[in-house]
Amino acid sequence: MNTQKINENPLELAEVIIKNPRSSKDLGLLRCVQCGMCTSVCPAAKHSDYNPRDIIERVLEGDETIIKDETLWDCFYCYTCQSICPVGNSVCEVNQVLKQIAFDKDEVNDKLEPFANYGETYINQGTGSIPNNFIKDLARDFGPEWVNFKANLSSIRDELDLGPLNPPKKTVDEVDLILKYSGFQKRLKKIKNEEDDL
Amino acid sequence: MKDIPNEKFLLFKSCMVNVEYPGIESSTKYIFDKLGLDYIISPEQTCCTGLGHYSDVFDELSTTAIAARNFNLAKSLDHPNLVMLCSTCYAINKKSANILNNNDEVREKVNNIFIEAGLEDKCYNKGDTDSRENIFHVVEVLYNNRDKISDLCKYNLSDFRIATHHACHYCKVHYEDTVDGVRNPMLLDDLAEACGVDTVKWYDHKRLSCGNGFRQRFVNRDYSLEVTKEKLLSLKDENVDILLHMCPNCQIQYDRYQPVIEKQIGEKIGIYHLNVSQLIALSMGADPYTVAGIQTHSVKLEPILEKFKEIKEEGK
Repeated sequence: MNTQKINENPLELAEVIIKNPRSSKDLGLLRCVQCGMCTSVCPAAKHSDYNPRDIIERVLEGDETIIKDETLWDCFYCYTCQSICPVGNSVCEVNQVLKQIAFDKDEVNDKLEPFANYGETYINQGTGSIPNNFIKDLARDFGPEWVNFKANLSSIRDELDLGPLNPPKKTVDEVDLILKYSGFQKRLKKIKNEEDDL
Repeated sequence: MKDIPNEKFLLFKSCMVNVEYPGIESSTKYIFDKLGLDYIISPEQTCCTGLGHYSDVFDELSTTAIAARNFNLAKSLDHPNLVMLCSTCYAINKKSANILNNNDEVREKVNNIFIEAGLEDKCYNKGDTDSRENIFHVVEVLYNNRDKISDLCKYNLSDFRIATHHACHYCKVHYEDTVDGVRNPMLLDDLAEACGVDTVKWYDHKRLSCGNGFRQRFVNRDYSLEVTKEKLLSLKDENVDILLHMCPNCQIQYDRYQPVIEKQIGEKIGIYHLNVSQLIALSMGADPYTVAGIQTHSVKLEPILEKFKEIKEEGK
């Protein structure tokens, strides 16, 4: 069972969330009337124990144990809750901020680690891609035809008269520096449980 | 309706279009060329951080700094109107522009990053890129030119039953900026109509997410496919031939996983998946392989190509 911490200022958690840069300027978190529209349209609520209305209730009660709630990770980030909310709240954004808070408190590395390779590729090539560790699963699902297409990608791109896949070295170097000074490289080391020698 | 420009576009490359459905980019270029739109593509533009952002690996500051660099690139190339092939690029870039314009603290931090990195010339000034006036989805530009598109179509597709999947990250993230709202989006339906097709305008689950869910597809595959299956079966009930897309992530989810779901349930679904740019390019007479790039699809499209009917000039 979830425990509630009733502290002197139950809205402290909500205020921290609102101030987080990931929250939109007009996030209507404090205006939530608990109508439950978010839950009624949410695909995660339909197929798992995820309950967006309940998340906001706990946030507004100042229940900090919410950041450890496993169900947060069932969200699809489809923003359907946000699009239907009559008071301009976004459980989807609140959820993302709760995960950032959990990360800062060292709670969720194991959830992010499988996606660390996205960050590595971005730093090394200046481009996003599906993490290498998932390719085997995709090849199993998508079959030999897809594997074959991947092997011939550059000739297909040539046929379609498209430009290079990756940006030039100058751009990659710029991105590398930006992500160094933004703190992302340090963050990635933490996600990968590596020592920080930056 | 919001104003959609017809010039000075930086066509924003998408990581998933690049490696999964490159035909979406070449089809869009083909249509833009036919429409005579002024656009460029730059190899120096980098990804929006999409999957990194929505797997929670990227922090907001890093994503915003990457966006600021791309905004600066577009301006420096005198093509300040960014137009997206992917709905997640659209959502992330719009949010980044809003943060850079409205959050002084983050803007200052981003500019300090540029200064520390020796990239002072890339510093962002408040208002440089406006979320509503400078950032668009390709579909909006096509919609703005739908009458011309209609005139350029050479093939009649009216034999097909087409339904549409309006991407969540276009409709639901910045819902006040969409062309026609979020409850029953018709943007893709209107574009199909411009190609001479009457679409299934509403179906059960029209608003439902594709089920990709970013992390879910990779670490909770069966959970993710439950949602995908729900929508596909509701489309099958409507006897849909083609599902029209506007986002490469959704297209992967439906085109690549439909055969997986068919195996799981032991039942044929048999729906063809096309991005709206691919459909329009094909209707205009583009080559299916060297322009529309249909050879990269999992559900083979040859059976529908055979049914394309040429429009006789007098019929126009």
